[in-house]
Amino acid sequence: MLKDARDYQILFLSLFLVLGIGTRDWTLHPEFILVAIATCCLTQWVAASLKYFIEVDNKDARDNGNTEGLIDTKNLADVFNFSLVKPAFRSAIITSLGLSLLLRVDHCSTMVLAGAIAISSKFIFKIKDKHFFNPANIGIIAVLVLTQDAWVSPGQWGEDWWYLLLFAGTGGLIVKKVGRWDTTAAFLGAYALLEAIRNFWLGWTWDVYWHRLMSGSLLLFALFMITDPRSIPNARISRYLWAISIALLTFILRNYFFIPTAVFWALFALAPLTIVFDSIWQAPRFSWQETSPSFTENLTLDLAIAPKSAPQMEREKSQVG
Amino acid sequence: MKPFRILLSCILALVIFISFTPNAWAFCGFYVAKADSKLYNKASQVVIAKDDKRTILTMANDYQGDVKDFAIVVPVPVVLQKEQVKIGDAKVIERLDAFSAPRLVEYFDSDPCQQVYYDGAIPVPQSAPAANESLRQERKTSLGVTVEAQFNVGEYEILVLSAKESDGLETWLKQNGYRMPSGASSLLQPYIRQQMKFFVAKVNIAEFNKSGYQNLRPLMIAYESPKFMLPIRLGMINSTSEQDLIVYVLSPKGQAEVTNYRTVKVPSGDEIPVFVKNEFGDFYKSMFQNAYSKEDRKVAFLEYAWDMGSCDPCSADPLTPEELKKAGVFWLKPNEGSNAFITRIHVRYTRDKFPEDLMFQETANREQFQGRYVLRHPFKGSTTCQAGAEYQKSLPARFEREAQTLSSLTGWNLPSIRQKMNLAEYPSTSVSPTPFWETIWDKQSNSQTQTTDVAQSNSQPQTTQVALSEDASTSNPWKGMYILLALLAILGSIAIYVMFVL
Repeated sequence: MLKDARDYQILFLSLFLVLGIGTRDWTLHPEFILVAIATCCLTQWVAASLKYFIEVDNKDARDNGNTEGLIDTKNLADVFNFSLVKPAFRSAIITSLGLSLLLRVDHCSTMVLAGAIAISSKFIFKIKDKHFFNPANIGIIAVLVLTQDAWVSPGQWGEDWWYLLLFAGTGGLIVKKVGRWDTTAAFLGAYALLEAIRNFWLGWTWDVYWHRLMSGSLLLFALFMITDPRSIPNARISRYLWAISIALLTFILRNYFFIPTAVFWALFALAPLTIVFDSIWQAPRFSWQETSPSFTENLTLDLAIAPKSAPQMEREKSQVG
Repeated sequence: MKPFRILLSCILALVIFISFTPNAWAFCGFYVAKADSKLYNKASQVVIAKDDKRTILTMANDYQGDVKDFAIVVPVPVVLQKEQVKIGDAKVIERLDAFSAPRLVEYFDSDPCQQVYYDGAIPVPQSAPAANESLRQERKTSLGVTVEAQFNVGEYEILVLSAKESDGLETWLKQNGYRMPSGASSLLQPYIRQQMKFFVAKVNIAEFNKSGYQNLRPLMIAYESPKFMLPIRLGMINSTSEQDLIVYVLSPKGQAEVTNYRTVKVPSGDEIPVFVKNEFGDFYKSMFQNAYSKEDRKVAFLEYAWDMGSCDPCSADPLTPEELKKAGVFWLKPNEGSNAFITRIHVRYTRDKFPEDLMFQETANREQFQGRYVLRHPFKGSTTCQAGAEYQKSLPARFEREAQTLSSLTGWNLPSIRQKMNLAEYPSTSVSPTPFWETIWDKQSNSQTQTTDVAQSNSQPQTTQVALSEDASTSNPWKGMYILLALLAILGSIAIYVMFVL
């Protein structure tokens, strides 16, 4: 078995891509997938190296009382030392696969832009070492706004039950694996409820309702995008609130402003709420390696910032595991 | 000198490859027939010219009944005033239809012994026209209803209504002499609650007689709204049968697509037997029906997506800027060419598979696509060279492939296709298959007794070029390639992190 939940994500996202190319006739170009993967990995590497050097440099400066702040050239070889630089290639690949699944472009350059912005956002938009924009989401929004040749095809997954099962089953596995299934449930529950109320009020037959919910793109979003545990709120209560507000905004944008890409805009607009919620409800940060030292570090860090009762900690810990 | 020689031979090989392949397979071929909307008994046609929120929508009227019975109710997003409604030109819709219709192209194989290629086209009679019908709902009467606008345009009397309650609207329409099908009220309600208005049109007989037109002309409406949808539910009130809708979306950006159903390209680019030339209409109808069933009857089909400045091959001349204007294209500026992208979407819908109205979006996708089917006429003259013999030998396999393609596209019976192909007329079809050993053993070396003629021609390099042209002609080689590339991409990505991370 794979030891990292992200390996499952990579596996399933790849599977969807292959299925998409094989069974749906998409405007999906394999060369764009390659470009996305390459861009994301490269950006991740460059950014991680920069971060490493800045940190090392600052540390050196502190240690030596040296304020010149210059990078020691003999350490430049460290760029290739992945155990020092620690570029999170898994995350970069997940982001690039997410972009390939959801984003459509006419030119490679647009995909490069999307990938670069997506990964850079992780290093730029962060507070207390936690990035709050979902990388793939911000990549999509950025190219939708900045370029003329990007679009999202919400209808192209169709509404087959088979896909629903596949998505729900595999997605469920993943989110259960990373302990953030509650976000998906809250989002889908709230959205389904709002749509149900609207459907009832309008007086449409219920097959209209099911057809609206059966959208493959919506499920893909709910299962793979808003569950990214690194960028969503830490505490369960804030995750509920966060997911419900995204569902509400999606509902409004889709039905009253007629924006086909409503979910992405909703997530983009409400992503910064993560910071607010995290400052109100504290909880241990999520880390991909459940048993790795970084988890304990984060735990200690959070504990130091916000002392909590032991039972509360226990609860949250079990939910993460 | 050795590197130079290698280089030279590479260049030579490239030249040979380049000069043979395109001759055997030019991209477009010649247009010979089209499958336009006249094929379908009940096809509504709608032209939507859209730039951002501004829309000009043209509804074609091929109403076949008595004009005095004609009336339509269309939910529209905003109140329309007289100046926002115009009479369209039916000819322009015909032009759009002809320009974007799926097409048949043909190629003629040349004498394989003489490398002189030519293409030719023979005009083919189009399929017989059938009846065609437009968005039509009949209706009757109501209360709590506000007449937002009332005016005459050409032969039409137009009302724009807003209503508070669907029962009221139904009663009002009935009282005002519109016949409403039962069950209309519950279907009107969702539109009323979405604050939509109702565009109601009927024919003023005196005006119609005065106008001298035989048929009702299309109605065009212009409005500004972010809503990009077509209401199909009202048209399905009492109908469970399949209805055809052809939507021409004209946009300055690129392709349009349906956002709440899948948009699927019609099968295209396939090589089919030449006899289809005389029954292309039937072919396209069967093929469409087959593709529709295969997709479980719940997708919209993309039949054409092209920049309107050109076509290749053309089933009709591109529309002039003047015609585009008549079709509702409002963003053209003088001397800037015709920046319009056409998307032809063919939806065959039924109540059970299309519960929700069609929602669309414009995308930046400028990839061009056409429904296009290929006839390849074999060379019928006698051939004397080795290449000719190879060519003749290759024909039966090709005919069989074409027959199978046709059968899988249309669902037609394979034996009867073979019969129709009349294979006996080609002298070489009876050639027995090549023995397998000849693929590796040189014929010359083990058959010293054969005629010198064969031995000579065997030493000529010409055999390869037939093989080349055969390869180039296999249909749709890209799909497999794409799947392979995608798999490679994914394997590559996994390899990257296995190498760097694990």
